Amino acid sequence: MQRESSAGYITRAPRSSGLADVLEILLDRGLVIDAYVRVSLVGIELLTVDLRVVIASVDTYLRFAEAVNRLDLRATDDSKSVPDLFQSGGEELAESKTKGAVEGGMDAIREKIGLGGRDGDDDDEDEEDEGRSRSRSRGRGNDR
Amino acid sequence: MSRYYLYGITRPRELPERLRDQGISLVADDNRAAVVSELHEGPVEATRRNLLAHADVVESLHEEAVVLPARFGYALESRDEALELLALPEIEELLERHEQTCELTLRGKYEEAVLAEVGAGLLPLREAYRAVPSVEAGIALGEAVGEGLAARRERDAAIVLETLGPLVLDVVKSEPAGELAAFDLALLTERDRVAAIEKLLEELTARLSPPLHFKLVGPLPPYSFVRLAMPAVV
Repeated sequence: MQRESSAGYITRAPRSSGLADVLEILLDRGLVIDAYVRVSLVGIELLTVDLRVVIASVDTYLRFAEAVNRLDLRATDDSKSVPDLFQSGGEELAESKTKGAVEGGMDAIREKIGLGGRDGDDDDEDEEDEGRSRSRSRGRGNDR
Repeated sequence: MSRYYLYGITRPRELPERLRDQGISLVADDNRAAVVSELHEGPVEATRRNLLAHADVVESLHEEAVVLPARFGYALESRDEALELLALPEIEELLERHEQTCELTLRGKYEEAVLAEVGAGLLPLREAYRAVPSVEAGIALGEAVGEGLAARRERDAAIVLETLGPLVLDVVKSEPAGELAAFDLALLTERDRVAAIEKLLEELTARLSPPLHFKLVGPLPPYSFVRLAMPAVV
């Protein structure tokens, strides 16, 4: 049902295609006719819990700070142009250079707020980063 | 006496066989029709299956002609109650207003690179954090980034709406979900303007920096634009 535009920036779906699409429009929108109709519902509570990510949390702020720092280091430490970075071994080099600095910082933070080491999480982040870089460079290629 | 589950309200017409086979029927007067199915005793469960079925019924009927989708979970206690609802002048007004309209939901999401752009103006905070990566310095920097991102969201939502301009009849904004979410908009437009909107958005994504990722769903029934100003009835 879904398709992407040629540049890859628009995901298009003609109809609601999953629970995430319909949840809000069906529970929060639509014709409300309380005066005439009796509602008889169960299960809503379970569905609406955790629907929204709360932006203003300490956790989010620390993630933002870490990301800005990491992205900033990448920009200043590496004089290569961005497309070069995604080819050959350029990215790994930049990655390992920034990693040391950032992880040192994050470890200190985790220690302070009592999160302890989270090795598994770090692995996930690596994979995510690589995936994103790939799709970004692919998007650029199609763009031209 | 039958009890009915209400999917929405439309004009009287022939239902597709697929829906009739699922037990969907119409309770109609001369000019308006309630889309219903018979309901057994007990509450309506808000399960994934039931929610998707509700959306499927109103969305497939909307492909052919106007549907005012009901909020999930309403039951009509009798045929008479359905007819009483259809006779409300507000219902006729809404059907006329939405004869040719549809809703598009548009969600925008940033790439992580937006944080670098937002952080570019926060040099002192960034340096403080890099020098001493304490929780306090992290929160101070992160909070400033959060503020910058909020301003960016406002700006980009405004750019989108300005670009679409008169193609859009009405807008409902929701709080975007997710840290990199840009905006979550429900747009009311005419059915024959959908292609033009899609084209404008294509052009817009290329202009924004960093590029925004859009998810555009529709043409949908006007879920977000069927608010009923209820008369004070006993």
